[in-house]
Amino acid sequence: MSSQVLVLCINVFPFSALILFSLQVLHLFCRVFSLAWICSATEAALRACADGGANRLYHITEGSQDSFLPDYISGDFDSIQPEVKEYYKVKGCELIETMDQDLTDFTKCLQILQKKIEKKGLQIDVIVTLGGLGGRFDQIMASVETLFHATNITPFPVIVIQECSLIYLLQPGKHKLRVDTGLEGAWCGLIPIGNSCESVTTTGLRWNLTNQVLKFGTLVSTSNTYDDSGIVTIETDKPLLWTMAIKI
Amino acid sequence: MERAFTPLDCLLPAGNLKFCLLILNQPFSKGHFHCLWSRAALRACADGGANRLYHITEGSQDSFLPDYISGDFDSIQPEVKEYYKVKGCELIETMDQDLTDFTKCLQILQKKIEKKGLQGKHKLRVDTGLEGAWCGLIPIGNSCESVTTTGLRWNLTNQVLKFGTLVSTSNTYDDSGIVTIETDKPLLWTMAIKI
Repeated sequence: MSSQVLVLCINVFPFSALILFSLQVLHLFCRVFSLAWICSATEAALRACADGGANRLYHITEGSQDSFLPDYISGDFDSIQPEVKEYYKVKGCELIETMDQDLTDFTKCLQILQKKIEKKGLQIDVIVTLGGLGGRFDQIMASVETLFHATNITPFPVIVIQECSLIYLLQPGKHKLRVDTGLEGAWCGLIPIGNSCESVTTTGLRWNLTNQVLKFGTLVSTSNTYDDSGIVTIETDKPLLWTMAIKI
Repeated sequence: MERAFTPLDCLLPAGNLKFCLLILNQPFSKGHFHCLWSRAALRACADGGANRLYHITEGSQDSFLPDYISGDFDSIQPEVKEYYKVKGCELIETMDQDLTDFTKCLQILQKKIEKKGLQGKHKLRVDTGLEGAWCGLIPIGNSCESVTTTGLRWNLTNQVLKFGTLVSTSNTYDDSGIVTIETDKPLLWTMAIKI
């Protein structure tokens, strides 16, 4: 991991009303967050917040915010708290206001990120998004929608992580996923979100598919799991959402 | 009350009417065929109408599969019947000899329209006081070619909803207390509940 350069895009989503839920978020957020931040501590790293994602960053780094300054904060700024915005502004973080209401803060943040990656000539393996899968169902769907747009925004894979879930949109073709980091939880799934898939073939899963139709109303692969190989291969004819558990 | 109707609207690529297409066993013009096919919500063949469809779509029949073929099957060619059967089209045999294939096809069509809720019009009352601020329309398993709403802050008019194009999230309500949604395909409604 330390040889890779991570680009963080911290997303905004409201806390649930349940304290327990929030604590779980905080725990994973802390562990993944600090790991990601440390691993990206090279000159080439880029770290961004989408609007209220800055609130998350500010609070999770309580007491040492100045050691965790994002490169930029973008959005329409209707979620970021005024004192948080002021703090990062004073500290010299770039604030980029994006007024387009047809695109989410996540999508706009990603567009800016790609421009900066190009401008700085960064070598990137993956774009990691923290947040985006909790709370409001419509905002989870908006995160998925951004993954669809991401293929036109950036050539780099974009993953979204929150709590115990990860999502990653597989483009048509063959994919090989290594699932032997030790951080994989028990479940995984293949979700034909947005369109049906006429032919999906997998290896490495407990319940593999062979030229299988995946379609809401016909078959959706959920509560799947792994065999012992440590590798999952997926071949799909249309975009297909991979989702997996992260051990908390 | 006077009902307004535009008979040739179905031939316009940008027309507004929602219609189902019934193909009978007579020659028809290729010119209008593609517009009719692409805009139709349901497509059916009455017996030998399937032969017509099969031949006019020579070379790309699998892009023009009817939802069903009905009739007493005395006109449909065996190889045409087999082709559509293998491709998964529903074949509905109707033996009634007092009614034409056309009539029987229409009866089946009406049942399917009702069953599929193809009128696709929905009225949601959102004035219980328990509604939270946000709502959305998610084309979760399939794209929708035409969605029209009222009662939302950002309404849609014959809008395509599709992942990668447009998904309605973080929407909200106007003051009317009623949301109407018209959709051509299954569409997931989601809304906030006040905790």
